[in-house]
Amino acid sequence: MNSKKWLAAFFGTALALALLIPVLNVLVDPFGVFGDVLFHWDSYSETLNPRVGKLEYLDRHYEEYDSYILGCSSTSSFPVEELNEYMDAKFYNLFVYGADMLDTEDMTRYILRNYTVKNILLNVYIDNGAIYDDPGIDNLTGAMHYAADGSSKLGFYGKYLLLGPRWSLDKVERYFQNRLFADAFDVFDVTSGTYDKRQRDVEYIGDLPEYESRPAYAEFADYPTYTVRLTKTGPAMESLRRIVAMCEDAGVHLTVVCGPVNAGYMEGIPREEAAEFYRALAEVTPFWDFSISSISLEPRYFYDLTHFRNCVGVMAEARMFGDESVYIPEDFGVYVTPENVESLIERNDRLLGTEPDRSDYTCQVPILLYHDVTPDGSVGVSAGQLEDHLRALRDAGYTAVTFDELQAYVYQGAELPEKSVVITFDDGYSSNYQYAFPLLEKYGMKATIFVIGASVGHETYKDTGLAMTPHFGTAEMAEMSDSGVVSIQSHTYDMHQWGPYETGPDIRDGVKRFPGESEAAFVEALQADFAKSRGEIEAVTGKTVDVLAYPGGVYDDLSQWALSECGVRVTLSTRHGVNTLIRGLPQCLFGMYRIYADGYAGGDELVAAIDGLLAQNAE
Amino acid sequence: MDITSWRFPVFLLAALAAYVLLPQNRRWWALLAASLLFYACGGAAAMAYLGVTAAATYIGALLLQRLNDRRAAMDQEARRASRRAHDRKRHLTAGAVCCVCFGMLFAVKYWDSTASALGLRPLGLVVPVGISFYIFQSVGYVLDVSRGKIRAQRDPAKYLLFVSFFPQMVQGPIDSFGHLSPQLLSGRKPDADELRDGIQLMMWGFFKKLVIAGRAATVVDAVYSDAGAYPGSVIAFAVLMYTVELYCDFSGGIDIVRGAAGLFGIELAENFRRPIFALSLAEFWRRWHITLGEWMKNYVFYPLSLSGAFAALGRFSRKHLGGMAGRILPTSLATFIVYFIIGIWHGANLTFLAFGLYNGVIITSSILLAPLWSRLKKALRVREDSGAYKLFCMARTSAVVFVGRYLTRAPWLKMSLIMLWRTVFDFHRRRLIPGILALGMSWTDLVVVGLGCAAVLTVEALQERGVRIRKTLASKGALVQWLFIFIPLTVILLFGALGGGGSEFIYGRI
Repeated sequence: MNSKKWLAAFFGTALALALLIPVLNVLVDPFGVFGDVLFHWDSYSETLNPRVGKLEYLDRHYEEYDSYILGCSSTSSFPVEELNEYMDAKFYNLFVYGADMLDTEDMTRYILRNYTVKNILLNVYIDNGAIYDDPGIDNLTGAMHYAADGSSKLGFYGKYLLLGPRWSLDKVERYFQNRLFADAFDVFDVTSGTYDKRQRDVEYIGDLPEYESRPAYAEFADYPTYTVRLTKTGPAMESLRRIVAMCEDAGVHLTVVCGPVNAGYMEGIPREEAAEFYRALAEVTPFWDFSISSISLEPRYFYDLTHFRNCVGVMAEARMFGDESVYIPEDFGVYVTPENVESLIERNDRLLGTEPDRSDYTCQVPILLYHDVTPDGSVGVSAGQLEDHLRALRDAGYTAVTFDELQAYVYQGAELPEKSVVITFDDGYSSNYQYAFPLLEKYGMKATIFVIGASVGHETYKDTGLAMTPHFGTAEMAEMSDSGVVSIQSHTYDMHQWGPYETGPDIRDGVKRFPGESEAAFVEALQADFAKSRGEIEAVTGKTVDVLAYPGGVYDDLSQWALSECGVRVTLSTRHGVNTLIRGLPQCLFGMYRIYADGYAGGDELVAAIDGLLAQNAE
Repeated sequence: MDITSWRFPVFLLAALAAYVLLPQNRRWWALLAASLLFYACGGAAAMAYLGVTAAATYIGALLLQRLNDRRAAMDQEARRASRRAHDRKRHLTAGAVCCVCFGMLFAVKYWDSTASALGLRPLGLVVPVGISFYIFQSVGYVLDVSRGKIRAQRDPAKYLLFVSFFPQMVQGPIDSFGHLSPQLLSGRKPDADELRDGIQLMMWGFFKKLVIAGRAATVVDAVYSDAGAYPGSVIAFAVLMYTVELYCDFSGGIDIVRGAAGLFGIELAENFRRPIFALSLAEFWRRWHITLGEWMKNYVFYPLSLSGAFAALGRFSRKHLGGMAGRILPTSLATFIVYFIIGIWHGANLTFLAFGLYNGVIITSSILLAPLWSRLKKALRVREDSGAYKLFCMARTSAVVFVGRYLTRAPWLKMSLIMLWRTVFDFHRRRLIPGILALGMSWTDLVVVGLGCAAVLTVEALQERGVRIRKTLASKGALVQWLFIFIPLTVILLFGALGGGGSEFIYGRI
């Protein structure tokens, strides 16, 4: 091939490859603007550019919704499920990260023109006073949809048609890495529009030092702590005024809220500028202010400096709609008008400098773990020893409480006795009925027994005929439960396997996945196992089963999520320690710590150990 | 304009079309227009710096030319009598031009860090693309005129083209007037061979810069920004990747611009000659960034070595130190100063100063220790031309260069030392792979970088053995030749970090 032919071959090949790029971009469609015919992966394109991705999604699905939530990323924490109930509506959370008021205005205009809209919940976050008409990172990931901001249609499709091939290749590569939980590349729950927080909302939350030192939420770890100047309050409020007018014209019910702000973040905002922000906002529209309250002072109510938790969003919605079944701190949520805005500013300023009184919303609870009770203490605890434990606890002023009471503390804000303790027995041995039950009655203590479904009433290991420690049967179960002294809960149906006696090919390590088991298959197996366990116990006791002790104490986020999906509200690990309960934070009931009580010879020793742990953990 | 964006090839094709279509004696217009357009993309301030440099060196060279011409017209007697006065005027004029040019360079590039060290007000000027390169090139021109090596260019437009020729604007090479200017003005139409060679060189450059350097950079940026957080093994890997990134990015960029210039039939000076095969650190620097080294040799090293002060130092050291040390002390000092300046040239930071010192000390001491070393080799009966010995020398040089790289990228010197410390005493081999993966480099990236480096090494080893790759390739069958078009293009398109190509996720911003 001479050089002239070489040049012809080169330009021919280059041209052919260049023409293939648009074809690749249309087929793989990383931004989801060409219909994403191969992957149907809305969460991916929404993550790359939510302004474009979400509107593309809604254009195909708007008939499923009649109401919308708008705002920046913290808006994601207003759950749609509760709002749907309160307002009898079908909400979609149309928040986008980095949204300034102009983005929100463009999107409001778009949905009012193109969809049927009954309600809009608009979160005006304090940062809306700091940025306005912000161009975003680049014009691919940060751009608004052309249909919403009136920019050129040709330019819009042109840039996504001529993307570098890496965008498409990345999408293909990530398609095969995709997990059930959110990955950095697909963070949205498609149907609700919120962030997929399935994993983050099952993480254990305990005491404050541990929480603050945790490397979790790595995305936010290096969030800049700079001074935030609210220099854009003026144009932002003008934009909001136009939104209010649009909603009025369209007869849409608009609720404006000012979402919770972490006190640490608020530190970076000059007070006078914040005050000006509230005044200007009240001037435009009355609003529900949640920005500063005792919630702001507690880091555990936040995922990070600028994002409050979903459970806080639940509280805010409950406050607005007067739902008294949900725990809400008294100072959380004020309806603000120009008349009371000055008193709000004054109250917020006063609150910000203070330290929270954690005794208002946290408490420490030890949970004791027993197994077998034998006459001589050869295995587990002896009956005499157990009696000594119960006596010592009573004498030390401890009240044995149930998991229902813990739940009432967390969910409804109910009170707990000052020195509360929870007594638990794992596995469901006959000795629990024979020895522990009468002793509990004698000392007026309550306990919870976690039974293994497959072992109830058995003296041999499943169908092997091999002898094991006897387990009580349904009659004993019913008697104990009816007495009100003992609550029967789940230790799984058959995920507490004992290797040497197992006959199947695979043996589970507690509830965890088999090697090679798919996430979906595992979730199905675990949920089916728990449903069976719950069904059998509830059939006998007639009481709700919503507490599960993990066999061997082992679990992971996936199992925790799978169980909470089927209504399990409390799970227990075997990690050693006492627990910090936090009102309004359901996660503090997940993977709870326990104290191996049968390791303590005498009651006084046990009480001293508990007191020691409580003192160590005091907040 | 970014030479890795899709705009660059389009721009290049347009410029080439204009170049070819114009009559031969006007072709340089196309080059000048393209160059000014290219630099205008950098903004008005960038144009202003270029304008000041061009004006100062243009006028300075004309003045020097007049001085030289006037002297040339004298008879021998008068010439001898006026020598000192002439030299003084010459040095004053050249010195004034240097002051303007380097003063501007200092203000733009070094003032802010100097000011912050001295507690003065920073200027906050934006460093325009390539400013060091064109300033060095134009000052070299003035000094060449001053020495009478070349005649000054009277046509300001033609001179402006020499200062601003666009392929060089981003990262050199620093060429000499005598070599470059005649080529720029010749208006020769490139033939098909030159076009093919230019395109091949550009593809090779894009491969190195986009496929290898672009990927290696991910780890580098993360580790150097917070080196204290990583185990020694990850740090060492990052430094290795930095070494790879630096070479592939710089030499790849140079290949792209040399290829681009080649499309116009212009051959730019060579800037890299397979530095991995250098047997000593001094040789490494003769193979790395060659044009800067040449510039330093011509305009710093020789003038220094030949200056009166150095001659006096030589006399002094020979008399008092005697022997080898006495003979080579002045050369060593000049060498040392050159590397010191090279260090500062790279950046206004203590780390670069340390880098200059590091190289200066090693090279100077290797000159001083050379006799001892050769006695040792004799005693151990090492054969200098054996492959094993050469391999040893290459490894030794690479190790020295590798350690030197710890100094140049860290934000401050202490960080460099902490990184070195951790590499030696806190290695944690097992944390290497998880560490790399956590930093955002995937297995695919690792494999691509590994294969890419292997390809570069293979090609360079062949070149080192005298194989002329492109010529060999041209003698192969059509299919093979086409595959060497198709595969590189596909690899660059698919694996190259094309301008803004990678999808970065910004989840977490409000």
